Amino acid sequence: MISKSEWEIVPLSIDPDSTKKMFFTDHEWETIEAAAERIIPTDHDPGAKEARVIVFIDRYLSGIDYVYAAADGSGFLRMSGRDATAARVSNEIFKAMYREGVKELDKIAQEFGFKNFKESSAGTQDKILEKLSGKPKPERIRFDVHEVYYSRLQGNTDQDKTFFETLCLHVRQGFYCDPVYGGNKDHIGWKVIGFPGPKSLKDTIDGTYTTDPYFVHDVSWPELLLDFKGVAVCKVSCATEGGVCCGKFGIES
Amino acid sequence: MNKLGKLDDVDVVIVGLGAGGGPAAKVLSEAGYKVVGFDKGPWLRHEEHYSGDELKFQNRSYLWPDVKLMPRTVRSDVNSKARIFNFSPVPANVGGGTSHMAGWTPRPRPSDFIFRSLHGDLHGASLADWPYRYEHLEPYLTKVEWEYGISGLTGAEKGAGFRSKPYPSAPLPPTRFGKAFYDACKKLGINAHPLPMSHITKDNSLGREAKNRTSFWNQYGDPTATRSSVATTFIPDAIKTGNFEVRANSFVKEVIVDDQGVAKGVIYVDADGVEFRQGARVVILALGAIESARMMLLSKSRRFPDGLANDSGLVGKNATFHEYIFAVGIFDKDFTDPLYGFTGNYQSGGSMDFYETDENRGHIGGGIIATTQIGQPINMIMPGKPSWGQAGKDSDRDFFNYSMKIGFILQDMPQETNRVDLDPDVKDMWGLPVARITNKPHINDTAMSRWQINKNVEILEAAGAIRTMPVYLGDEFTGNACHQQGSVRMGVDSRKSVLNEWGQAHSAENVFVLDGAGFPTAMGVNPTLTIMAHSWRCADYIAKIYLKGRTERTVLEPLKSLERA
Repeated sequence: MISKSEWEIVPLSIDPDSTKKMFFTDHEWETIEAAAERIIPTDHDPGAKEARVIVFIDRYLSGIDYVYAAADGSGFLRMSGRDATAARVSNEIFKAMYREGVKELDKIAQEFGFKNFKESSAGTQDKILEKLSGKPKPERIRFDVHEVYYSRLQGNTDQDKTFFETLCLHVRQGFYCDPVYGGNKDHIGWKVIGFPGPKSLKDTIDGTYTTDPYFVHDVSWPELLLDFKGVAVCKVSCATEGGVCCGKFGIES
Repeated sequence: MNKLGKLDDVDVVIVGLGAGGGPAAKVLSEAGYKVVGFDKGPWLRHEEHYSGDELKFQNRSYLWPDVKLMPRTVRSDVNSKARIFNFSPVPANVGGGTSHMAGWTPRPRPSDFIFRSLHGDLHGASLADWPYRYEHLEPYLTKVEWEYGISGLTGAEKGAGFRSKPYPSAPLPPTRFGKAFYDACKKLGINAHPLPMSHITKDNSLGREAKNRTSFWNQYGDPTATRSSVATTFIPDAIKTGNFEVRANSFVKEVIVDDQGVAKGVIYVDADGVEFRQGARVVILALGAIESARMMLLSKSRRFPDGLANDSGLVGKNATFHEYIFAVGIFDKDFTDPLYGFTGNYQSGGSMDFYETDENRGHIGGGIIATTQIGQPINMIMPGKPSWGQAGKDSDRDFFNYSMKIGFILQDMPQETNRVDLDPDVKDMWGLPVARITNKPHINDTAMSRWQINKNVEILEAAGAIRTMPVYLGDEFTGNACHQQGSVRMGVDSRKSVLNEWGQAHSAENVFVLDGAGFPTAMGVNPTLTIMAHSWRCADYIAKIYLKGRTERTVLEPLKSLERA
């Protein structure tokens, strides 16, 4: 078995402008692209369509070649062993889910008296998505309500979700992911919300990308804290030379 | 069937190379003993395998175990059927949790070690004192802070226990949301300060380079060695001695025990499915409190038919998990400066003011709070956020840079019924029964959750939030803190505990459990620093006393006064 630490980097890359379909049929591609446009719509800022979310989802569903980008973004990892087997099982589940999901969207469209989902109006598409999700379309966040929530697991895998939840998550991932995965074309998603983000994954490894300018540099700890007189940092380093710390650490204010 | 290959015996085997196994590997190999360390996962190298890839680390679980391969099950009581759930996931690789964690490394308080003496019996809970005290651990806390590399602001935490040395690294400067938190705390009279973190900054005395300022931090591997991780500190230290060997991708199936109850070594399966027997004089379990308990329960023998060293029947019981709960505040972008909630190494300021018991609050105990990142774009945390449509897009655009969060490590009370045992139905990829977790919050846990999250809401309001979203503990723990304690309790009485103060099994003297499993109470701080210091202390004992054929007891002075802060 090839250990995860030895997974080979396959020099694959994804062209976000590609119209080549690796998983979807033409109809499925157009349907999911239309649904993605309703999930993150285009307004005065670009949306899912411009970010090429559809390419992101198509490549992810195509198999297990596009699951993990190489750390430096130079390609994708070739999974092996049990991890690969588990990933293939998940992939088959998603494939079937999307195939069925597109049929479901069209079926609801027909129940509403339309030909299919993709050729319906935006308003109708929203109603179809409402029906699919079983909930009204979300409204803007209000400031005059108080709701409470309960804790859940950190992280956000796409396991064990309904088709609608999966689709919303994948659209979001395609809008905000590192562009190496085919979505977030030209960092469109990041620009919409004001996330600086790295130019490339490689920039996150070698110190090129830094968020230092977003920190506060013009205050001192004694100014900031309730009751603290000076910054105590060991400048003497006696202990690193094998001795016992002299305790004379510098006081800066 | 695979044939069982036999290897030359060594002095010590360590099962699990995370926060517990790492320090033990260093201490014992540096003392001259031959040590082999096992990890069921791979040995990933920070400079080769890690980067700031949100999708890979947060959504596609590059480091967390795939729940299909290494499942766990969970249920709320003995009458319910357990369901498969990735409860308390910790990376399965060399370095364990230290390779992905945000890395809050606050010290415990002296009160943590005498929790039952301070509070007496709490109905429905199984409070206990630790078999040693803060002063016994303090030298080791200091060793870890300096050898591992912890940043902090010495002297800023009011009411902290004695410390023998300052921190070796200054903290990061505050983030914008950190400053908002400090300002609000000052307004409310709360003593806030930078939390100790397991990373170094450029202002450090360790000669290490602090390079990673990407803010891709919690749950990410760090491609530099800015984060202190077992895989970049203790493991390389151990390897340098020439006495330590890492066997990655090697799953230990059981501890071999002879009829006298002496552990003879372990049986493990390598990456290609071949079984081996590795003999040793000492077996150290450090798999994390869930898996260490499971390993003991899996290791049945004639002497221990109910699992290794389980004479008391307590193996797996009294488990505690913490819960990470929080409140989020959103701000009006027309009237406030951006908070940039994506910045920082997860936390940017916290407080221990709500740590010690104040019965006016309606609960005992407490925990640490801290203001923490909202996260990167895909996984931005906003409870109740509209999931699609114009409202969804608007909320991302309006609040990604205009929200902040204040989190809390909930200290759950130990209960005998909150436990780890073997699931009768579900097996892992090696065909062995998985850990089943049974848990239900104690009424004190629920009360603590309410009180503290409401306090966090108050701080957010003082910071200027126009709306707050509290997130409380629900009907069950989710294991979302990835903290595990208590399942193989330490104590002085062998009828009421499994391990002694050295993490040594009362009834199997060459078996040591050196992770959080021994901790009789959960503490209100993140356990990693304490796990490392505890492991170091116990490994010191193994090296200098036990393997020299001697025994020593920790002396507990009578408690003079039991003042509460």
